[in-house]
Amino acid sequence: MLLEMKHISKSFHGVQALKDVDLSLKAGEVRGLVGENGAGKSTLIKLLTGVYRRGKGEILWNGQAVALSSPAQSQSLGIQAIHQDRTLISTFDGIENAYLGLSYPIRHGKIDWKTMENRVRTTMESLGLELDLHKAAAELPPPQRTCLEIVRARMRECRLLILDEPTAALTEREAERLFSVVRALKESGAAILYVTHRLDEIFRLTDRVTILRNGAVVDTVETAEVNRERLIAMMTDGASVQAPSHASAFGDVLLEARDVASRDGIVRRGDLFARSGEILGLFGLGGSGRTELLECIYGSRPMASGTVELCGATQKKPSSASSLDRGAALICEDRRGKALIGSLDVRDNILLTSIGRFAMCGVSCRRAENAAVQAQIDALGIVLASMEQPVAELSGGNQQKTVFARAMMTNPRVLLCDEPTQAVDVKTRGEIHRLLRQKADEGCVVVFVSSDLGEVLEVADTVQVMRRGETGPRMENKNLTVRQVLSCCYET
Amino acid sequence: MPVNRKTDALRRGAQTYGTAAALLVIVLAFSAIRPSSFCTLTNFINITRQMSLLVVISLGATVVMSVGEFDLSVGQMASLGGVAAAQLAVAGVPLALCFTLPLLAAAAVGLVNGWVVARFRALSFITTLGMSTVLSGVVYRLSGGATVFENIPKGFSVLGTAKLGRIPLLSILMLGFVLLLWFLMRHTPTGRKFYAIGGGEEAARVAGIPVKRCKLLAFVLCAVMACVAGMLIASRVGSANTTAGDGYFLKSYAAVFIGCTASRRGVPNVLGTLLGAAILGVLANGLTMLQMPTYMQDIITGAIIILAVVAQRLGREDGQ
Repeated sequence: MLLEMKHISKSFHGVQALKDVDLSLKAGEVRGLVGENGAGKSTLIKLLTGVYRRGKGEILWNGQAVALSSPAQSQSLGIQAIHQDRTLISTFDGIENAYLGLSYPIRHGKIDWKTMENRVRTTMESLGLELDLHKAAAELPPPQRTCLEIVRARMRECRLLILDEPTAALTEREAERLFSVVRALKESGAAILYVTHRLDEIFRLTDRVTILRNGAVVDTVETAEVNRERLIAMMTDGASVQAPSHASAFGDVLLEARDVASRDGIVRRGDLFARSGEILGLFGLGGSGRTELLECIYGSRPMASGTVELCGATQKKPSSASSLDRGAALICEDRRGKALIGSLDVRDNILLTSIGRFAMCGVSCRRAENAAVQAQIDALGIVLASMEQPVAELSGGNQQKTVFARAMMTNPRVLLCDEPTQAVDVKTRGEIHRLLRQKADEGCVVVFVSSDLGEVLEVADTVQVMRRGETGPRMENKNLTVRQVLSCCYET
Repeated sequence: MPVNRKTDALRRGAQTYGTAAALLVIVLAFSAIRPSSFCTLTNFINITRQMSLLVVISLGATVVMSVGEFDLSVGQMASLGGVAAAQLAVAGVPLALCFTLPLLAAAAVGLVNGWVVARFRALSFITTLGMSTVLSGVVYRLSGGATVFENIPKGFSVLGTAKLGRIPLLSILMLGFVLLLWFLMRHTPTGRKFYAIGGGEEAARVAGIPVKRCKLLAFVLCAVMACVAGMLIASRVGSANTTAGDGYFLKSYAAVFIGCTASRRGVPNVLGTLLGAAILGVLANGLTMLQMPTYMQDIITGAIIILAVVAQRLGREDGQ
């Protein structure tokens, strides 16, 4: 065995990311690794590449225990990775990026740029790729950056190549190149760990496939012996979804986005509309652009093209402030980073977007503020010692309620929620679902984004899938199953 | 996003040569106003000597900025270097040692700076600000608060005042250091690693580059260069003032920032720093020649520094 991972566990701040995972790889094997978002795939990769220190368990490399305590060490063993979050130096050109972490060739005491360029060029040409090596990485479009990473991985000795969603940014032709690289590597006796959401690639390339769910290995099977449905069932534990009450009568269209594309190219074509009283569930896999689309609509992410209409008025220059004025509110995915200011107390966090409203002649009126804040705290049932308590001391669920309380302060008519129930307990989760339904019944629009499909189906009246930066068809949530929606996501 | 090719090329050209062109414009302007006194070989040689000390100290700042950090203690480090060298000379220590022992102290200071920043991920801004206060205390203890000028042997001033023909030794030393640092940053693995860290620390770490060690080295180099500059200042004037180097700190970063604008990718670079220091040097020389009052010189120099930073942000490829 080239690589054996035994009883690997890893947790972050008490959250178990990997539980007792066993994984072994033979030389010359192409192994697929699949699982839903949060199943632990990225954690596993980061352990292998030495980015994370492993928690518990043992890793054997050619039968010998190794520590994998740093990226340099992992690379020196011959473990190379092409990461999902790109790891190029944006100010460096292609040649230097390809050489990053390798020892530079020296001639007459100085770096031999010629040799470097020749070696990189040879590698690139042997892979059949075309790149402008003299351009800085920042100037290359995303697919070319991935190509550059492939070149970089091939520059060193490679015993195990880890590919994390490698085709996410690639065009058809470049993807074909990548596949032939994978096959060539396999021929040369290297092992490949291929991580992807695209199941057709799993069936095309891999010999065996390992399924992760909630940080644990469900099974490892021969690729030839499973089919697509079986894989999806193993990834999602095949749970059926109970059908709670959904609304079916809706009012006017309050939110409409047409042909939205973000300036950074992550959102390529976002089309959606939502009516008063409707909960629109937007589902997509990691990297599909669901969060980014929401941010475009809200105005916190620059748009390249497209229009957003909020409550009947077209947003000319979308910005967070103008969206708020029009009656939109965003519950961010990144609770600790973007939604809450940890050093402020609960009161000030709730007041953040409505500070000016309680001011009289430029002087804030503390009594009015406190009354309004207290009303929200009571309405949402936030458990706290006092409203002067630092928000960081609250539990995750109560922090999330604080985020909601802030949004409610402006009486929004369009509520954009990005993963509103992440890292909250079951009880709060139910409360948040009820709150969203209540708001919809009051005539608001709720856009509900989640990576948990089961939850989307539980809450939403209408479901829309997002894939590779584009929105898919609208589906009415009647007798809709997890599998139906997922097959939309995995379609090529 | 539609990009106009022509304006793009124009912008790129302005980025690469704009800084050099700015220097040229300034030189031409002064030459036009004061042809007889400014535009002479003697004055140009004079300018290279005047700017040499700033260049040496700015080179260190360039290195530290290339790893994405700041060292605000360079001014005090320079003062310390000068005072220490002068005190050793007064004590009768051989001159060769007078100019090398302080370098060891500087390396130690750089190690502490770098260790605190790399090991604890402390903000270099604050860490080195603290260090600068510590150093000014040390300088006071060493000198007793007074300028060291009595009993300094004659040989002490050679480095700062000697000339080879018409060229001051200082100008030659400056050129030597520029070449050395340019080679280090451009043509050795160490320099490329510095830039990798400055370009993306996390990506560099993932690529297996020893981030901590590189940062440590960058801080050591910066402190050593500051110390060299400080000793040369003392040698030039034949005495060591307790605050001789303090004024260089801001100007050195100004030179580095102006220098960033000379690089297409907006990164600190040695030749750019030389250009930046030259712009500041020519301005100081020319404005003095025009008998511009000091306050006016400060206003003009400051405004140019701010302009340079704005130009650097505009020139960034991501446009953010």
